[in-house]
Amino acid sequence: MSDTDEELVARSIAGDTDSFNQLILRWERPIYALAYRQTGREEDARDIVQDAFLRAFRALPGFKGEAKFSSWLYRITLNLCRDFLRRTRRAPFLPAPEGMDVTELAPAGAAREETVEDVVSRKDLSRHVARAMGRLPEEQRSAILLKEYHGLTFQEIAELQGVPLSTVKTRLYQGLTVLRRELDRRGSGPARAEGRRP
Amino acid sequence: MNDSRLCGNTDVLMSYLYGDGDEQERLDFGAHLERCERCAAEIAGLQAVRRDMAAWSPPETVLGFRVVRAPDPARSRWAWLRPAAMPAWAQLAAASLVIGIAVGVSGLEVRYGGDGFVVRTGWSRPAPQAAAVAPAGAVRAAASADGAAPWRPELESLREQLRGEWRQAAPAAPGPAGVGRTMSDAELLARVRQIVEASERRTDREMALRLTQVVRDVETQRRADMTRVADSFGVLEGRTGAAVAQQRELMNYLVRVSQRQQ
Repeated sequence: MSDTDEELVARSIAGDTDSFNQLILRWERPIYALAYRQTGREEDARDIVQDAFLRAFRALPGFKGEAKFSSWLYRITLNLCRDFLRRTRRAPFLPAPEGMDVTELAPAGAAREETVEDVVSRKDLSRHVARAMGRLPEEQRSAILLKEYHGLTFQEIAELQGVPLSTVKTRLYQGLTVLRRELDRRGSGPARAEGRRP
Repeated sequence: MNDSRLCGNTDVLMSYLYGDGDEQERLDFGAHLERCERCAAEIAGLQAVRRDMAAWSPPETVLGFRVVRAPDPARSRWAWLRPAAMPAWAQLAAASLVIGIAVGVSGLEVRYGGDGFVVRTGWSRPAPQAAAVAPAGAVRAAASADGAAPWRPELESLREQLRGEWRQAAPAAPGPAGVGRTMSDAELLARVRQIVEASERRTDREMALRLTQVVRDVETQRRADMTRVADSFGVLEGRTGAAVAQQRELMNYLVRVSQRQQ
């Protein structure tokens, strides 16, 4: 039975580096996914992941355990992403160049199960979603990412963003509405998606 | 809860969409959806957006970050000697002190006169202060006996006096003051050597660390590139396989049709 985050955190604070490395192993993928969806660039996301864990390691003695370790880590990551986007002064998602290799976004292992048309279609949809997400205000995008891809509760997002629970729901609703409109306009949204599914 | 409070209520709508919130409220809203086409359409549209969002996944990458604890330099016995731990003025003062003590120990003498510029250490000449303790009468007597070399009797008397003192001092242990000064000088010289050695060790360690970082970065990049290449090959294989399968199906179809016509 694997150790809980709290146990690993306690041992890390006591100076056990291996325990912190276990926490890294457990959380580096979700943190990378969050950073990638915020910045839109693999290299930047990896830098942010490294920076986030470094900051967490240094700040660990001050971590009181009032929030979950993962929520604390998400907060650090989102702050780093915000700083990064402000520093680079650009929109989070760069439009993919025309004629880009369609195989780039295909995850390993998926290629043998999907047809070429499926891969192209999914890649196209993925690009549209990324572009639409890039048009959202940062707080709406963060709320959607944390809820949709990381499964945080409304309450956890509210604590992480420091806003009332109703504000989180409003941000989610407004963000999803904008996404729906953007995807419909490009013909890649629900209408087309429904026709695609069995 | 009546329908007027549920209809168009984004708070309840979000709770229902994500299944997160008051359970009774969600059950009420589910019942409301059966009666309200507008809310049902809204929910269906947002659920479709959520399905579309599932297509967006980050590319595979090699992470593998690890925290590695470097040896704590503060625990080193000579950590306080590191230049980073010592301010510049203290380093300068220490260097001046060392040079001063070294000059004092060696008895360095620098003189510029009629015989030119002379630099010599105390080890290459007799101690001049010894002459001061020679009996004045003996010196005067020797000077009168040998007018050509007035310093020779002085030297002889000094030699005799030194021999007498050595004979007296030989059985006794060396004085504590002399020992203290010698030990202190040796310590300082050793410390200077340790400063230099610590600096060299630090430079070597930093070089090794930088080299390790460069090697690790290159390795990480190489692995990521290899993964991407492997993924691309995999997809291309899949695409080629699909094309071959389609051609095979087409051929089979043509064969069947031709057989039927025959």
